[in-house]
Amino acid sequence: MGNLTDKPELNAKKGKIGNLDSPKNPFDYMKREYGTVPLDTKRAPFQWVSEVAYKNVHRIVSRGYDTTEVMEEGYGVVDMLFIDYQARIPTVEEEQMLNYVMIMALEDGLSGPAVMSRIVAQSKTFLTQACGASILAFGHAYGAYSAFGNRLENYLKLAEAEGLSMAQAAERLVAENLQDEALGVSDLMLKDPAAVRMFARAEKLGVAGKYIGFIKEIVKAAKAVSEAPVDLDMLGATCATMLDLGFSPEATWAILAVTRSFAVGAHYIEEVEREGYRRTGQTLTPKEFYDGPEDRPVPPLRDRSKVAQSGICHTVDEWARAREEKKKLVGSGHSIVEEIEDPSQKSGIKKVGKL
Amino acid sequence: MDRDPLIRRKTAISYKTEEKTVMRGYNLSELAEEGYSFCDALFVMYQNRIPTEEEEKMLKYEMGVFMEHSMSPSAVGAIGVSAGRPNLPCTIAAAITTFGGVHGPGAAHGYMLNKYIERAEKEGRTIDEMAKILVDEYMDAGRPVMGMGQPQHIDSDPRAEPIHLKQEELGLEGVYLEFQRALEKHFHARRKAEGRSYVGVNVVGSGNTALMEIGFSPNAAWCLGSVCRGFSCAAHALFNMKKGRAWGASRNEPMVQMIDLSMIKYVGPDDRIVPKQEDRQEYARKQKEEGEYKKWVI
Repeated sequence: MGNLTDKPELNAKKGKIGNLDSPKNPFDYMKREYGTVPLDTKRAPFQWVSEVAYKNVHRIVSRGYDTTEVMEEGYGVVDMLFIDYQARIPTVEEEQMLNYVMIMALEDGLSGPAVMSRIVAQSKTFLTQACGASILAFGHAYGAYSAFGNRLENYLKLAEAEGLSMAQAAERLVAENLQDEALGVSDLMLKDPAAVRMFARAEKLGVAGKYIGFIKEIVKAAKAVSEAPVDLDMLGATCATMLDLGFSPEATWAILAVTRSFAVGAHYIEEVEREGYRRTGQTLTPKEFYDGPEDRPVPPLRDRSKVAQSGICHTVDEWARAREEKKKLVGSGHSIVEEIEDPSQKSGIKKVGKL
Repeated sequence: MDRDPLIRRKTAISYKTEEKTVMRGYNLSELAEEGYSFCDALFVMYQNRIPTEEEEKMLKYEMGVFMEHSMSPSAVGAIGVSAGRPNLPCTIAAAITTFGGVHGPGAAHGYMLNKYIERAEKEGRTIDEMAKILVDEYMDAGRPVMGMGQPQHIDSDPRAEPIHLKQEELGLEGVYLEFQRALEKHFHARRKAEGRSYVGVNVVGSGNTALMEIGFSPNAAWCLGSVCRGFSCAAHALFNMKKGRAWGASRNEPMVQMIDLSMIKYVGPDDRIVPKQEDRQEYARKQKEEGEYKKWVI
């Protein structure tokens, strides 16, 4: 139980402490209680609430299915993804398609996740640390499944609301997002048929649906307005297929990031096997990489008032001028804008990046 | 567009060109088109080989039962991180990195098995003899025997024995299963002789045995398990993000929330006055001399 108490004997001895006696403070800081808050007996006690799974001493149950019984009936880990994320058993064709997608998402050479894993491995860590780090490489450019998927859903809703055809909605989407990294159409797969083959397989298995249909229209629209050759890329193929399999954009993001992490374990292992560990202070950055301010003497501390420059801006005009100046300092962050919003429902749909 | 690799490395795992992505010599598209499963691809990735049908089934089973485990450190980690509403990958990364020396210590179990099987070979002992030596050495030293015991499934992990049975059903019994079975036998016998309660095999003890048997290294097996759990932890985080309350402390929810203030129980030093700066040196010197603070140092 908690033990909230006033402890006036402590507060009385303190005297003035900084600005804590200011009348601007929202309450009297010298009369604040000590101790912890008692348990709330008026509400139900805390429990881990879940729609996904529960377990007891003898069972683990996901979406109503005992997971051991699921495996004993001959299902597998790929089926479990449908159970966990969609609360349903997939058709044989859906399971086959997800296997296909996951194989294609497993390995991607020395791309971000593998590099993250290898860099963490160089520090002599657990393998799990490297695998976890690799997941952090998935954002709204690389592995932009939620950004792409949510955009598709938004424009499909728009089409429905405004009575647009798929082709018209695709043209609108392309016109408004042509330069975005998560368009699903780019010049990345002009020589590699893997993306197109994935759609062929989805159609053969009978799992292709409205999302694959829509991205095909997007490809047409992008080709019509792009100056350079473009085509369906792996982001567009993979994500549209996952959406047609019934996964949400966020579930797709999660499943494919984890899928890639299975491979980065091998990259961790290879890095440890073939390369050495890196020590603190070992890595040098050559002077020729540097284009910041020239080397200069540190002013004596006693001269601080002579050399120091205030960063305070007292007028909006002053602020605007200072901001433009600040943008010139690479690494300061002033030239980047981000919209940090709650990504619970949808993520990756806001434009972020360089100003 | 810059398409150069982010770092320069010789690698025997894969290469990727404008035309194709090749893993251990196999074009990924060809592998998928041929109808191989994701589990098959993991054998190619970690073992450079196409597995037998039985081996593929074993991996599919093991990963399937391991994937979802409701509230374990990994799911709690994911849910805890989701409270601040970062991007979803952060919650998954947190979940996977909870796997360490206690939660799902697959590599530790694998290294233990390899070490003692190697000793059996070098010392000319049988698997059964060496398993007893392992149990005695670990228990004499007061060390937990990897793969035994689970704090929630106190009558033995419900996934564990079925994994052993599946391995046997598929005809995949080898030196690892023989060793693990012997380990469990001697472990149970010793605890019984000492009048201690029954502690069953856990999913690492059985699942990792199966993974080692079908050729995965300790770290590869650990990767398969801990990363696979990431799938379900992401679902738990996503549920909380889409249907739960951010922050986890709302007083308007009918149930007390995860980090409601009343969830805090404090057992540290008593409340005390912050010393004035003018008293600081004397106060600090005295505090160091008395040394009472040391019992709180962590």
